[in-house]
Amino acid sequence: MKPGTRLKSAACDTEVMVIKCGSGTIECGGVPMGEAKPAEAAVLSSDFSGGTLMGKRYVDASGAFELLCVKPGKGSLAVDGTALVTKDAKPLPASD
Amino acid sequence: MLTDSASGLPLADWAGHRLAKLADIAASPAIAALNGASLLGERATLNHFRVPGLQSAGGGCRLLPARGDWIALNLARSDDRELLPALLGSAAFDPQDDVAIARAVTQQDATTLLQRGREMGMAIAMLGEQPASPARTVLSHGLAAPPSAKAPRVLDLSALWAGPLAGHLFWLAGAEVTKVESARRPDSLRTGDPVLFALLNQGKANVALDLATAAGRAGLLRLIEQADIVIEAARPRALRQLGIDTDTLVRARPGLVWLTITGHGASGPAADWVGFGDDCSVAGGLSAELARVTGQPGFVGDALADPLTGIEAALAGWQAWRAGAGCRIGLAMSSVVAQAWQAEARNDPARWEAGLRAWAAVEGAPFPTVSRRTATAPVAALGGDTARLLPC
Repeated sequence: MKPGTRLKSAACDTEVMVIKCGSGTIECGGVPMGEAKPAEAAVLSSDFSGGTLMGKRYVDASGAFELLCVKPGKGSLAVDGTALVTKDAKPLPASD
Repeated sequence: MLTDSASGLPLADWAGHRLAKLADIAASPAIAALNGASLLGERATLNHFRVPGLQSAGGGCRLLPARGDWIALNLARSDDRELLPALLGSAAFDPQDDVAIARAVTQQDATTLLQRGREMGMAIAMLGEQPASPARTVLSHGLAAPPSAKAPRVLDLSALWAGPLAGHLFWLAGAEVTKVESARRPDSLRTGDPVLFALLNQGKANVALDLATAAGRAGLLRLIEQADIVIEAARPRALRQLGIDTDTLVRARPGLVWLTITGHGASGPAADWVGFGDDCSVAGGLSAELARVTGQPGFVGDALADPLTGIEAALAGWQAWRAGAGCRIGLAMSSVVAQAWQAEARNDPARWEAGLRAWAAVEGAPFPTVSRRTATAPVAALGGDTARLLPC
């Protein structure tokens, strides 16, 4: 998937921008995300309902995936069923 | 000592006038002794910068032509470059290669890049854009308090340049200032530019808190309860995500003045945009004005939005505190720049334009020398006053 692609959650309001993408299925709320929103909302899995935070970057353990949340929602992000974690806040510039 | 006008630094006169006003209302000889050029140019003088052209004086920000307009892209943070493939929609270039980045930018529509970059939290601006928010605005009203005869207690939650300069001006005017730093993410100026850090943070007490913990957040709230003026320069969502509601705090304490410094505003979509000194100066129309006058865009001054906003914040904060008017005041860096240059251009158009032409003519030369200040009070170590100010 091209960096810069926007993906929408099928189960909540979450939208992400793909910063880095490996191979695997990106999910939110337990269901695959897509570039379009499905006509009917999918059911939010209680295992993936921690919520996303605006502006946070989410990564997998291997560093292959990085997603930027551009719209928050109730679901949480995963790749092939494994939850992503937030990346630490950007270090500020040494001077600006 | 060079006068502000003789410094050759655009907007030094404006800064000088604002400082004179602050000196007057704060009855402060130390502020009266400052000169505008010195505050605008001291970082550049300390670091031996040169007069910038299409690359900012500090080097982190570049003006790049895109389709339809110029874009200012600030890559000052270490991991900003990781975002470039997503910004430019391609992984087919080396994000460390500035020539390749410039080539990729020329193929993109400027407005699209601006919108996407801002959505991604990048410090980006467009030459022809208009500032999104007013320079100074009351974001919420608190309760009035009888004006105090004592100097204010100031809590400085900010980092880098604009906010700490406001805190420094309060300190010079006699306030007792406490700087709060995140223990996990201290002010990067402390190590990045220790001499400027010392100038801006001398004499302030220092508390380090881990805001990821409940104890850290409780400590912050205790410090806020003791403050007359709070300076904060994070995007509004940062405090919200910590569970801290600024407007409630302002309403809870009669007379509390809360200064919120942002790049582009504290409400609407602009509240989520990132801005640093050089890109905010472009967003404030200063580089477009240079292009109008000289035919060539370029950076004016060194991250001017920072020191201009620091001065403006100190003035706004002291005025409100003196009046006993509790409130939260928003200062938007891009708009402060716009307000400053538009005032100068209105005041004496011929002189303003001559100043910009003179600036452009010395591109590449050493930055105008301004009178150098040195720190005269000690600089507290990170967390050096935590135990004293937050006893268990």
